[in-house]
Formats: sequence, structure tokens, C-alpha cells
Amino acid sequence: MFDEIAFWFAYLTNGKHLTWYASFQFTIIAALLGGALAVVFGLTGATLKTSRFLPLRLIGTTYSAIVRGVPDVLFFLFFPLAFEQAVEWVVATQVCTVESIAAQSSAWPPCREANWFLGTTEYLLLASVSLGLVYGAFATNVIHGAMRAVPHGQLEAARAYGMSARQVLWRVHIRQMWVYALPGLSNVWMLIIKATSLLSLLQIADIVLWADRLGAPNFLPAVGLVHDDWRWRYYLVLFVFYILVTWLSEKAFEAIMRRAGRGILSEARG
Amino acid sequence: MVELRDLHKSFGALEVLKGISFSASEGQVISLIGSSGSGKSTLLRCINMLEVPDSGDVLIDGEAVRLRGSGQARQIADEGQIRRIRSELGMVFQSFNLWAHMTILENVMEAPLVVQKRARPEVEAEARAMLDKVGIGSKADAYPAQLSGGQQQRAAIARALCINPRVMLFDEPTSALDPELEVEVLRVIKILADEGRTMVLVTHDMDFARSVSDRVIFLHQGLVEEDGTPEEVFGATRSPRLKQFLNAASHS
Repeated sequence: MFDEIAFWFAYLTNGKHLTWYASFQFTIIAALLGGALAVVFGLTGATLKTSRFLPLRLIGTTYSAIVRGVPDVLFFLFFPLAFEQAVEWVVATQVCTVESIAAQSSAWPPCREANWFLGTTEYLLLASVSLGLVYGAFATNVIHGAMRAVPHGQLEAARAYGMSARQVLWRVHIRQMWVYALPGLSNVWMLIIKATSLLSLLQIADIVLWADRLGAPNFLPAVGLVHDDWRWRYYLVLFVFYILVTWLSEKAFEAIMRRAGRGILSEARG
Repeated sequence: MVELRDLHKSFGALEVLKGISFSASEGQVISLIGSSGSGKSTLLRCINMLEVPDSGDVLIDGEAVRLRGSGQARQIADEGQIRRIRSELGMVFQSFNLWAHMTILENVMEAPLVVQKRARPEVEAEARAMLDKVGIGSKADAYPAQLSGGQQQRAAIARALCINPRVMLFDEPTSALDPELEVEVLRVIKILADEGRTMVLVTHDMDFARSVSDRVIFLHQGLVEEDGTPEEVFGATRSPRLKQFLNAASHS
């Protein structure tokens, strides 16, 4: 009995498992940062969409129309790679000499000095930006609709009392917009959470990748077969994790909704 | 105090104001009356440029509001100027338009704090005094949605008072209220009128216009049809259109 407990304790705290536990941070960071960026891009997109200037309006509309239609997996593969090579191309135009280009045997990057090595941090940032861009397009639509739901008379009153356009926007318009945007934004947030399971596409050793590795049939020279194919057990742990995150998110959104809806929601009903 | 010179305003093909001029001097209470569509609300909203007139000038204290462009493309030329002017015109709306996410006290303090940049303790003391004055001091920490229509409109009046306005503008302040709530709002407006405040009031309530105003202007199809003291306008009605309007109003 004691031996068994000791074995499982040792097994679950071995180096690979500890790395797995640590990799949860990547998922959480990517979700939070991606979510924050999605809101920023969403606010920007929604503001552009209502701009008085046609070119800005076109940018906002094009962004939300096109990016929403691109599959997130595809965008995940495309954006970081395209961004990396674009940076390398720009760097190459500055640092590569004729000799260094001649010395380079592979086709890309043009010369060795222009090579940009991306570590986990860089990939995590790129992943967050990708998430922000893709889901910011959804947030743009959500926020755009919510902005239009704010009672027009209250904006007019703000103008009538001498507020500047910026004050009207931040103190009344955006402040009241949240109540109408939050249900939609919580959907977008759940989609972002789901999309974090794609991090391994970006060379990030994330929870999914580790579950895959740890669940595979496991031999140790000293012990022999530790376990055969246990992947479903590890995936189950991930299920539980995502359900927990979902539950926490719902609680968090309820709290935010209560705060944002103060004076607008509960009181109006009661 | 307020001077309007030959204002024209169209919405699309519909010409709402067809050349209106009048001026309100300090301490005067002016009621704008007329049937719906006569342009009285539009005229009031031109005073603080919530509607920009297609032509004509608006002068506040002798200072003309700077506009650029012409016709329906005409717009405000100097944002700083209009914000300064607006911060001295207290507007009260038909549908109250209190900011729903702020408490009553915050509503009243908002413009003095963020537009006029006055000190918080001074503003708060004044805001509470204004709320007491309109009779809802105990509702300072409630949200607008928790109040009755009449209380909301009185809060909106307190909000207008707290900016120490040179002119108060009322856009049908009792039209969205039940008759029993109308009374409490009218009582507050009457007190303000008696204090000698300069006010321009759009109203459909003829009895109230008669009792509160120094001067009544009857608009008909975008033009001033009658302009005079309440006695002249109501007592010795000359215009047949005004007679017809007053007749209809008294039967409604």
C-alpha cells in the first residue's frame, strides 16, 4: 500500500510531469493575453467601423469581415510564420552582405545573420497576438453592435453638457457599452479558451502536447512497461481543466456583468 | 443673452425652420409653443448646437457660435468654443437622459467635475444643495432607473442647475410624464422662473406657459407666428392659426 502511494507520488512528480504542470501557464497566459488583445482589437475595430472617415471605416469593416471567415487553425499556422519571415526579410535587407548571402546554403533566411530564432516566449507572444487578431474580429462585431445599443439620448446629453468627443466616448458610450457587449464577449472568450488547445501548432510544448507524450506507452529500462496507452486518461485531465476554466470564467463574467450593469440592469428590472 | 438670427434648418427635403429670429434677454422666461412639427424643439436644439442650423447665426452673450460650411453640411468650426458655451447652457430633455450607469449625485456632479474642472468638495456640496432644492436629496445615491419619471426629471433639472447655467433650456420637460408627476416638475420650473433665471422652454402645456413665462412665442410651420406677453398671445389672440391651435390644445 505504502509502496504504491510512493510509486504514484514519484511517478506524478517526475520531471516530465512537472514540466507538464508548468506548461499550464502557457495556456493560461495565451488565453489571458489573447483575450485582452481581442478586446483591444475589438474596441479599435468597432471605433474604426463607426469612424467618420471612409478609409478607416473600410479598414474596420474589412478586418471584421475577412478575419472572422479565416479558420483559426490556418491563421495560427499562417500569422506567426509570415510575421517571422517578414521580420527576417526586413532584417536581411539591412544586415546581409553579398558574401554572407553567398555563404548561406539554404534558401531561407537569405543570410545567417538575418536568422531570427524564436523561443517559447516569442512563440507565446505571437500566439497571443494571433488569438487577439482572430477573435478581435468577432469582438469588433460584438462591440460595434453594443455601441449602437447605448441609448442615444444619453450621448446627446453628454454632448449638451460640453463633453468632448473623447469624454463622451469613454465616460458614457464605452462605459455603457459593456452591458450589451458582455454576453457576446463571453462567447468570444470561450472560443479563445478552446483555441488555446492549438498552441502546440506553434512549437509550444503546451498541455496538449505533454498529455500526448505522457500518455503514450511508457517504458523505463529499470522498471519495464510502466503503463501502456494511457492517453485518454491524460486527455480526461485536460477536459477537467477546461471545464474548470469554463466554470471560473462564468463566475468571473457574472461578477463583471454585475459591476458593468449597475444602475442599468438589476435596478431596471426590480 | 441668447440671440437667434434668421435660422434655417432642413432635414433632407423637409424644411423645419424657415428663418427664425428672436432674442432672450437676461432673466426672461420664454415659452415656445406650437403644434408638433412646428419646429419648436429643433429651434431649442439649435441654441446649443445639438442641431446645426443650415444658415443663420446663434449668439450667446453677444458671442457668435463659429460654424463652417454651408447648408446641411454646415458644422461646428471650433470645438473648444462650443464646449465652453454648452457648459453654460443647462439643458433638460423630454426623456430626462440621465446617465444610467451613474447615481443621481454622480449625474449632477459629472459636468461640473469633468467639463468645468471644478473642485470635488465644492461641487459635491452644491450638487447636494441642488438635489435638496428639487426635493430629491434623499435619492442622491440611487440610480436613475430606481426613480419615478418625475423624480428623474427633477434630478435632470438639478444636473442642469449645478453647472450654474446662464440659460436653462427645457425641451418638453413634462411630455414623458404622467399628469400627477407633471405637477412636481412644473412646480420646480416655476420656482426657477421666479428666481429670475433666463429660460427658454418648449412646452405643450398652455396653462403652464401662461403662468410661468414673460414671453410666449408661437411657431407655425417653421416661422414665428405670434410673439408677445402671455396676456397678448393668449388673451388677445390675433392669428387665426394660433386661435385654432389654442382651441385644439384646450380640448386635448
